[in-house]
Amino acid sequence: MADILLDIQHLTRRFRLGRTASLLAVDDLSLQIHRGEIFGLVGESGSGKSTAARCVMNICRPSAGKVLYRGVDIWNPREFRANRTMLQTSRQLIFQDSASSLDPRMTAAEIIAEPMEIHRVRPPRGSLREEAAFQLRYVGLEPGCLDKYPGQLSGGQRQRVAIARALCMEPELLVADEPIASLDVSIQAQIINLFQHLQAEHGFSILFIAHDLAVVRYLCSRVGVLCRGRLVELAPTGELFDNPVHPYTRSLLSAIPIPDPRLERARVLTPFEPDGFDRAGELAEVSPGHLVLQGGGGV
Amino acid sequence: MTRKNPLFYYARKLALFLLSVFVLSAAVFYISRLAPGDPLVSYYGDRAEKLTVQERQRAEERLGLRDPIHVQYVRWLEGALRGDFGISYKYKMDVTEVIAGRAGNTLILGGTAFALIFAGALALGVVCAWYEDRWPDRLLCRVGTIISCVPEFWLSLVLILVFSVSLRWLPSSGAYSIGSAGSVPDRLVHLILPLTVTVLGHLWYYAYLVRSKLLEEVRSDYVLLAKSKGLTRRSVLLGHCLRSTIPTYLSLMAISVPHILGGTYIVEAVFSYPGLGTLSYESARYQDYNLLMLLCLLSGSVVILCSILARIIGERMDPRLGEAEGWEAAEYE
Amino acid sequence: MSEAPFTRVGVRPIPPPRLKTRPWYEGRPVLSCAVLAVILLGCLFCGAFIPKDPAYMDLYHASTPPGGGFWLGTDAMGRDIFSMIWYGGRISLAIGFLSTLVSTLLAVLFGAASGLSPRWLDGLLMRLTEIFLSIPSLLLIVLLQAVWGKAGVISLSLVIGATSWTGVAKVVRTEVRQLRSCGYVIAARCMGAGFFRILRRHLLPNFLSSILFMVVMNVRGTIAAESTLSFLGLGLPLEVISWGSMLSLSEKALLSGAWWVILPPGIVLVVTMVCLTDIGNYLRRAAGRRASNL
Repeated sequence: MADILLDIQHLTRRFRLGRTASLLAVDDLSLQIHRGEIFGLVGESGSGKSTAARCVMNICRPSAGKVLYRGVDIWNPREFRANRTMLQTSRQLIFQDSASSLDPRMTAAEIIAEPMEIHRVRPPRGSLREEAAFQLRYVGLEPGCLDKYPGQLSGGQRQRVAIARALCMEPELLVADEPIASLDVSIQAQIINLFQHLQAEHGFSILFIAHDLAVVRYLCSRVGVLCRGRLVELAPTGELFDNPVHPYTRSLLSAIPIPDPRLERARVLTPFEPDGFDRAGELAEVSPGHLVLQGGGGV
Repeated sequence: MTRKNPLFYYARKLALFLLSVFVLSAAVFYISRLAPGDPLVSYYGDRAEKLTVQERQRAEERLGLRDPIHVQYVRWLEGALRGDFGISYKYKMDVTEVIAGRAGNTLILGGTAFALIFAGALALGVVCAWYEDRWPDRLLCRVGTIISCVPEFWLSLVLILVFSVSLRWLPSSGAYSIGSAGSVPDRLVHLILPLTVTVLGHLWYYAYLVRSKLLEEVRSDYVLLAKSKGLTRRSVLLGHCLRSTIPTYLSLMAISVPHILGGTYIVEAVFSYPGLGTLSYESARYQDYNLLMLLCLLSGSVVILCSILARIIGERMDPRLGEAEGWEAAEYE
Repeated sequence: MSEAPFTRVGVRPIPPPRLKTRPWYEGRPVLSCAVLAVILLGCLFCGAFIPKDPAYMDLYHASTPPGGGFWLGTDAMGRDIFSMIWYGGRISLAIGFLSTLVSTLLAVLFGAASGLSPRWLDGLLMRLTEIFLSIPSLLLIVLLQAVWGKAGVISLSLVIGATSWTGVAKVVRTEVRQLRSCGYVIAARCMGAGFFRILRRHLLPNFLSSILFMVVMNVRGTIAAESTLSFLGLGLPLEVISWGSMLSLSEKALLSGAWWVILPPGIVLVVTMVCLTDIGNYLRRAAGRRASNL
């Protein structure tokens, strides 16, 4: 196997809700992402995908567990400080809602150039503006967008600007937190293709978070399934879609609509009650690279 | 959560209050000791300058002025806990006595002003909301804005000029005429001008808040419902809208105490009204540390008490305010 | 069928509604801006038109009523009131703007720090603000003034600024609390932007409109504070002419009924403050309008 870029070990994050109640958003999550792969993390809303991403990006401190990025423990203050520039440039985050992730009072050019300005990188193409124009062209936008404000751009264009901002630091890990959830279907396809194209060209790794399984099947090489903060199944994409083991995965897969009316009408939903499943089990390998939470019983 | 155990809830608020007062006392103590100036002057008057070096030293040692600041503070705190706040350098008597003699006057002035502002602002606000954007509202808004811009001291001057100097209707200073300290009508006459200034200075600010709050309420959906049930305009505005603004208004008025208090302090100084304001102004000028400390502490405690009260009113009467607890989870989805 | 299917009977053709073009100045505080500009410019360039030296004490003509050689009369020390108003306005306005600058700076820094810090620190900072606020501002100013020593224009501005920042700071904190969970602030933090960069590039432009009105109101408040302090004899000394220190002679004027010492400076003061309030209210409405459209 290729070398490991991101190693998440027993990551747990608990939110306090008032004095006694608390919410276990991520529960003992362990997974590895290799260099150059697109890893999909799926699950229904509230299953802790975004929280996991935020823990990986140093936004939200884990309650327990470790996150190693290129062997650096990113939540260890000393190690973080020693590798600050590396961590801040080679990991980039793309948000779900591009409307709020871009400052409404900055132009596209300023937004794209911001990380370079922060890290005082000498732009390889002369000026910061040139660099922004290049990146913009690279993600398929007209240079005319350079001086537009996010409010003047469409949703797809905004997401492209956000991607351009992430790309200009030439990252090794892109964390994409449901980057297509707020877009139209046709735009979604464009952005997915853009991701695929960029990944093939740059060879970076992507942690791709989605709730849309069809997209994950198309884009990712391996998939992890989260349910109520617990990783229930992890397998190469083909294996997972052909041979789902955990009842929750099966239930998710049965919810994918089929683009054929006859088959679609005959489709049977497999019900699964996520509150009732047994979280206590251990991940066990059922076939090479295919891990399933054992002892997790559903309905 | 907090609602389940009221005892615990109030204990927490009490602890918060005591802690705040402690920090306040320490802060005021340090600032007042940092201030330059010779407290001996206020103790011995002009004689302080004629003292020899030895006499000075002895006097300073006797008054404990030569110790490091934190030692002085601890000594002051020990005394304070027994109710001994030291003596006033200027009045040569117990600080508590000096203040007790004046506090009543300020309480009368401030309390009456507060009550008048409280009731008047509510009434004015309702009138403005009732006549929204018609001439009574516009007129009140104009006049109110202009009056609220007039600095209190200047308003006092103009009123004195008109009513005391020109017309000779009202006395211009003091709380009572010499020799008639006990006469109630005389005190009332002396109260009119300071009270007018204090009330006018603050009235519009609160009336405007009531007005905008009411106008906000009038635009909500339950007003439509009430109207569709056939309630009259008056009963909707007074019965429903006004009632739902009351919690906000109450907690606002609790917070307003420092502003009104600060206002009376200035007014007192202008009218030489023998209250705490004049006293604190004098004590600051004469570097009367002990007196100043207790005055700051006293008014500070009242203010802290009021702001805690405001929060309690808010949390008890408006259930929405208390639910800010789960914000951390809300922030990260 | 060749005719129009419907004929309107007895209906007068309605003339198209005349589009009323609203004049550009409607709803804007034009008058206030103009008056304020006159006062500002008049104070700035007072040297060009004031008839007398405002600091010269003409003891022969002390307490002269208006008219004759003195347009607005003279005060108890024989200084020309008309000249003093313009000359003193410079100091009053300078203190107003300077201390507003100080207080806004403090408020933005403190508010942003409090808004961005973790919850316990934020709570602590806000408690401290409350304690600070609990000392009546008159006493606080007196205390600080005593620490700073002799009152001058700069020290008075600093003192007033240091005591009038809490209101704005609270608003900044609330705004920052809302903004900090915005995607672009998180994104900037991920990219490694420091506190000041986030404040300058992302936070300040986005909360500026909501504090602008308070800042203008603060100018008003600080001018009032200066005049009150100087009047009480705690601010500027008599020989530094400002609207407040001019009025500090009014105790004597009251005894002699010299209304011209009290009224003119006060009226100019009040007019300035009304203008500022009007502009501030306009800014508040404008900020509110923008917020509701978003």
